[in-house]
Amino acid sequence: MSAVVRIYLKEMLSVLRERRVIFTTLVLPILLMPILMYGPLLFFGNAARQTEAKVQKVGVQDMPEAAVLFLRQAKVEPVPTSSPESDVREQRYQAAVRFQDGIFTIYGRLSGATQSSLVVSKLETALRGYKDSLVAQTLRARGLSPQILEPVGIRTQDASRVQERAAGIFAFLIPYFLVIFILNGGQAVAIDSTAGEKEKGTLEALLAAPVPLVQIVIGKALATLSVALAAALAGVVGILLGGTVVRGSFAGLLQGQGANIGGGLSLEPWAYGALLLTSVLFAALMVSIQLSLGVYARSYKEAQSFMAPLLLVFIIPLLMLQFSDFLTQQAWFYLIPAFNVMLLLDGLVKGSAEGWQVTLTWISTLVYAALALGLAVRSFRREDVVFRN
Amino acid sequence: MIEVQDLSKNYKTFTAVDHLSFSVGVGEIYGLLGPNGVGKTTTLRMLATLLQPSQGTALVAGYDIRKEPLEVRRNLGIVNGGMQVYERLTGREVLQFFASFYGVEGKLFEERLEWVTHLLRMDDVLGKLVREMSTGMRQKTVIARAILHQPPVLLLDEATAGLDVFARRALLDFIAQYKALGKSLVYSTHVMSEAEEVCDRVGFINAGKLVYEGSKSEALAMGKGNLERAFIRRLEVA
Repeated sequence: MSAVVRIYLKEMLSVLRERRVIFTTLVLPILLMPILMYGPLLFFGNAARQTEAKVQKVGVQDMPEAAVLFLRQAKVEPVPTSSPESDVREQRYQAAVRFQDGIFTIYGRLSGATQSSLVVSKLETALRGYKDSLVAQTLRARGLSPQILEPVGIRTQDASRVQERAAGIFAFLIPYFLVIFILNGGQAVAIDSTAGEKEKGTLEALLAAPVPLVQIVIGKALATLSVALAAALAGVVGILLGGTVVRGSFAGLLQGQGANIGGGLSLEPWAYGALLLTSVLFAALMVSIQLSLGVYARSYKEAQSFMAPLLLVFIIPLLMLQFSDFLTQQAWFYLIPAFNVMLLLDGLVKGSAEGWQVTLTWISTLVYAALALGLAVRSFRREDVVFRN
Repeated sequence: MIEVQDLSKNYKTFTAVDHLSFSVGVGEIYGLLGPNGVGKTTTLRMLATLLQPSQGTALVAGYDIRKEPLEVRRNLGIVNGGMQVYERLTGREVLQFFASFYGVEGKLFEERLEWVTHLLRMDDVLGKLVREMSTGMRQKTVIARAILHQPPVLLLDEATAGLDVFARRALLDFIAQYKALGKSLVYSTHVMSEAEEVCDRVGFINAGKLVYEGSKSEALAMGKGNLERAFIRRLEVA
């Protein structure tokens, strides 16, 4: 058995015996992802359904009698008021409406996902119905059909790829969480096997063993890589399983709301392989950087403080992925470390990745990973780094 | 067994080890003595090939520390007071892990394990996770890790730091036993009384320089039966 394998197995054994690491990197994502992703949507969906079904009191001022009938049909109970705006502001009513000079003004608290906004929607629908009925009445009185208001129809058709449509919100979330979990999952092991070893005084003993330094670094990098990928996989499994379970268990809740909760991956087999290989290459790059930072740190805490900005650095391009459609994609984008991976993951999930993008990203990331590994070995070789404590 | 030749280690603003030369014979314990921060640890780290000398070199078991670092490492063990072993491994797993790098595996490992268990009286240590061990047990594991491949050279750097009286006693007894196997030891410490007990020859080091070298009896004579007094006197003369 080579020294690389021995060091790898030792690191993995250490990880497996640390319940905290196992829980936070492997178990927690599976448990937490469904709650994080679907919890708010389910809660809001349920609240919306109840708001739809129940009758809410709304303030009304100077409302025509016919319009009040429409409001009642839309399951709201009009209550006369002389101050509709302040009533809503002070939350006496979820919404209110005033009629003045031929204009209905609807008042609501519209910042964020409020119950008020749902009641406002009910009012809008009811008043639109009232307005349409008035138009129809007027037209009929003049011997005209209301159909003349719609001389042509307008229909919108989603022309995106099957994969992109199936992915839904996953198109953004899968690349996002893959990157986050790779960074987060690898961090604990990278720190433990570098700064942690320095702090505990075990690194010196290992470096004094007759093992070439390259093999020590590769053994540690492989262990970190394994845990980072396992964490990423756990996160993706959490998202996919969570989506399936939520859709299966709460089908009733979701029905009729037009809510496309989550999504699903509908990729060609090669695309799954490409996703995996892209993740492996990205993880190899990140792991080497984390090892370099980790060995430079004096202590576990210092290493954490070095690595926290690393996460922030990647969050900005990740958030920009949401707007990737607005980018005019150019070849050199696929040479930018890490950003190329995010773009490619996005393309793979949407089924829009092209061969040249895959090739550029893989080759460049492989080169960057090799350079980062070289940097890690160099860091381990530097006396002022290893004995910096 | 060890030949240190004009060894120096310079950092940007200071010299940690300054043209050090000494030798350690087969079956000899050499005491490298001096207060904290005078270059003892740096010297031992250079001998263990963990640090690169700025000048000079040393032969350990016949191998040059500059040119043959892997061979040097195969032929020595190192223990220092700050060294620990992996918390989440058992004593046996720690020993198996390190022994494998020296080719001590399978049946040979079991034989050596029996030997070291007997030598250090550590039967109760092997199956325990290191994080559940007492300080003394941990220190035994550290020593066992350093000698399982039976290196001809053993470097001990402030090895009794933090040990209780029993663990310290056990370590000093072990040193005498290991020497009896014909091994060479460098015992680096600032605790002169320990050196009085275990060393055959001593070297006083101050500000990176070797200010005195001689047999223990000569040094004791200089200090009227006390190594600490001898060390201070030597510094006053220098």
